[in-house]
Amino acid sequence: MNNIIANILRFLILLIVQVTVCQHICLFGYMTPALFLLALFLLPLELPLSLQYVIGFATGFVVDAFAHTLGVSSFACTLMMFVRPYVVHWLNGSNNVKFENIDRPEPGVKDFRWVLLYTLILTSLYQLTSILLETMSFRNFGHTMLVILGNTLFSVFVILCVEYIFHSRSKGEI
Amino acid sequence: MNNLIEFFKKAFHIIVLAVLLILSVVMIGKSLAFNDYRLSRAVQSIVGPIQKSGRGMIHRFRLGPENEALVQQNIELMREHENMFLVKEDTILTEMSTPDSTNTKRVRMYDYTYAHVIFRTTDRAFNYMIVDKGSNDGISRDMAVLSPQGVAGVVTDVSPNFATVRPILHPESRISAVVTPANQNGTVIWEDNDPRVAYLEAIPQHSEINIGDSVFTNGFSNIFPKGLFIGTVKEVQVGNNASFLTIKINLATPYSDIYTVYLVENTFKAELDSLKANFKNE
Repeated sequence: MNNIIANILRFLILLIVQVTVCQHICLFGYMTPALFLLALFLLPLELPLSLQYVIGFATGFVVDAFAHTLGVSSFACTLMMFVRPYVVHWLNGSNNVKFENIDRPEPGVKDFRWVLLYTLILTSLYQLTSILLETMSFRNFGHTMLVILGNTLFSVFVILCVEYIFHSRSKGEI
Repeated sequence: MNNLIEFFKKAFHIIVLAVLLILSVVMIGKSLAFNDYRLSRAVQSIVGPIQKSGRGMIHRFRLGPENEALVQQNIELMREHENMFLVKEDTILTEMSTPDSTNTKRVRMYDYTYAHVIFRTTDRAFNYMIVDKGSNDGISRDMAVLSPQGVAGVVTDVSPNFATVRPILHPESRISAVVTPANQNGTVIWEDNDPRVAYLEAIPQHSEINIGDSVFTNGFSNIFPKGLFIGTVKEVQVGNNASFLTIKINLATPYSDIYTVYLVENTFKAELDSLKANFKNE
């Protein structure tokens, strides 16, 4: 129960910060951090898969609504939520199949390398999908790739910073 | 049958996934399609107000620099206004000159700068303002002070970094003005201790003044350029003095929230003053 409230609160806070602050950041003219992804990353893995997809879709929809890009983030988030369990599998190695509480993708439970790879893979998937969907063309592909790369690195940096800052404060419980 | 239910239980999340992805693609398609705005409009009607208030909050932090830029731009525009120049016609015609424009020349007579009000009073019998620029910034006595809305006052005292301004709201303030469309010249004075109202004196009784007529500077004082807005006529009375009207005017400058002011310098002031010094006073 406590966990649910914490998750909902985290979603609300991160979404508000995303649409009010992060979306207006435009570093070097194209780098915008997708901080709200953190809320999806920290979602418990033992939730029913369909619920996870719906949560991903809804989160993406809210972000889309504020960014005037209906459907783009929804698609990318849903896809990311679909891929997420497989990424966790792969990172854990084949011996650890069941998603147990120990598999919470959080610092404290996992080491830094694990969290970094997890964040990097999922963020780059999100940015790749959403930016390609947004531009909808392969013209000027070099620049598009640069935008994807820049956005991914900036997002990962911001997400990890926030994750580790708030983690150390609450001693293992995010 | 059981098998079917089992299958659905197993594949349920795949179906959800597919539905959601298709939904997203449909939304993308809709917003790309040029003539279907219904969905985005519906979303916008919810998100818009939230975004507007958030944007407003962020925007407030940027207002300072933006304001400075606008003030700069204003000054550049105001400097090019016609009443800033002395237009002369060359009396000596050269052979090359053509009838249209070559024999007139424009000489800059007034120049602008700006300052911020850091202190002001409006509720006293003698009111003052202090602005954040002084003699180091090229401010000198008797420069005209304008608010964005109209005439504000005159610089009376200058220190290296600050300057005192005597606003219209001062019993000693006298600004020669013209009321249009009657085109009668008079003087704006202040008496009632009301920061919103002043008097226009010396308008002959026969002139037709209506409520709402505009009062401008007439450029006689060599402090104010011609044609700056002072206020509008509020009340017209036949005064005790039979030959003049008593006219109340609403001042254009909102003294209670004045922040940025423009200062006008007359580049020929010394020259004009030296001529006026020879006037004979009775």
